Amino acid sequence: MGVITVSRQFGSGGEIIARMVADRLGYLLVNREMIEKKLQQYGIPEPDLALFDERNLAAAEQEGEVEGVNEKRRRYLEALHDLFYSMAISKNLVILGRGGQVLFKDFPPALHVKVIAPYESRVERVCKTYNLDEAAAAFLIAEQDRDRQEYLRHVFGADWFDLSFYDLVVNTGLLGMEEAACLIGKATRLKESMDGVTVRELDEWLLDSAEQPPAAHEKDAAPSPFAHSSEEDFARVLDFYRIKWLYEPRTFPLQWDSEGNVTEAFSPDFYLPEQDLYVELTTQRQKLVWKKNKKVRRLKELYPDVNIKVIYERDYRGLLQKYGIEK
Amino acid sequence: MEKEEHFLEVLITEEEIQKKVASLGEQVSRDYAGSEHLVLIAVLRGSVYFAVDLSRHLTIPYVLDFIGISSYSGGDPLGIVRITKDLDVNIARKNVLLVEDIVDTGLTLNYLLNNLRTRNPLSLRVCIFLDRPARRIVDIPVDYRGFEIPDVFVVGYGLDYNEKYRNLKSIHVLKDKK
Repeated sequence: MGVITVSRQFGSGGEIIARMVADRLGYLLVNREMIEKKLQQYGIPEPDLALFDERNLAAAEQEGEVEGVNEKRRRYLEALHDLFYSMAISKNLVILGRGGQVLFKDFPPALHVKVIAPYESRVERVCKTYNLDEAAAAFLIAEQDRDRQEYLRHVFGADWFDLSFYDLVVNTGLLGMEEAACLIGKATRLKESMDGVTVRELDEWLLDSAEQPPAAHEKDAAPSPFAHSSEEDFARVLDFYRIKWLYEPRTFPLQWDSEGNVTEAFSPDFYLPEQDLYVELTTQRQKLVWKKNKKVRRLKELYPDVNIKVIYERDYRGLLQKYGIEK
Repeated sequence: MEKEEHFLEVLITEEEIQKKVASLGEQVSRDYAGSEHLVLIAVLRGSVYFAVDLSRHLTIPYVLDFIGISSYSGGDPLGIVRITKDLDVNIARKNVLLVEDIVDTGLTLNYLLNNLRTRNPLSLRVCIFLDRPARRIVDIPVDYRGFEIPDVFVVGYGLDYNEKYRNLKSIHVLKDKK
């Protein structure tokens, strides 16, 4: 029945702190992944935020579809509300992001925490955590912060910078993770002792039904050498011309969820160390290539110093014909 | 039989080729003016036509030599590229200009350049007649370039298709019928 909501700037270490707090207090950590899975069980998909964008709303208004958009938002909000409160009835929760501070704003025992850090230390932490250079880290921080602001604004109509949502603001530029977790733990205990709210009263706040245990986190399987015969052929051609190569030596994370879990990654097929070049063979039909192109674009944005060359099916066929592998 | 499978379409005319080769010859003569020991190395076999024409426009002394390397064959999976015809001249402390007919993946030229570098030339530059960058895998420093062409299969002016069409005076695109 205890609820701690943690809102944080990307790269502030907020998710690590939330995990530490949850572990120490024996609370259940509720993150975006878990929420998405549970909402899917309700038949509610994660909303496309662009749908709630002001420009889209204005367009929808002109076309008389604003009701439909608002209805979607209302259904999402209701489902989120029901989910949080139904979980809170049986468990103590640490809720990371997802507007917890807004949904539990009027819930007396809830402790609302915001974790911030100076920009430089966020950049440093993101560089270290994700093995990125400074420019890519800055890009990612700007993107993630924007996503969070938009989520709060579009779904809840709330301002991410509005400090009146929070009981406690922790600056990890000044405090270590340990100290921050300790401080939040103490604040929780303090708040508990201050609140004269009875369990019965709390129950009235909380909605029905118990919740399911969290689903296991999915992890990508390790790639096996030469997933495709075309890669083996290509390796032979490289061997022939005495070009050193490594097969899928590096995986580049491309997307993270708000908890910092990698949700999309890309492992180019080959790395040619002498050329400092990654090579990706795309033997898919043109129709499916856009997805890979999107990944390559993203990779170039996040890792501007990485050289990558995509060999498309047509080029590849030409190459094979040239070397007499395929007529 | 094969003739019926393809038809040819002119991509670069004989006049354009001759004009370009003359201008490349002038440029090379200018750049190497005053320097001694220029060795022109033509890669067998396609670039012979281009190298000979180019040499006719040189106004500086040079030595012409040839190098040949094996090509990849899918039936020889364990093979590695090897020199099939080595240079006759010693290029150590000489200015070397490697002349190639076409560069696409850059794999052949990359191997050749690495090989020639080990022979300690004074300088090593690259002159290519056609550049097909769409298929480039290994970047090659190109000092002199005739024409950049799109990703099409071309024949003529030394370039063949199953040993045919080398003698054509223009560059043609070889296209499948229908």
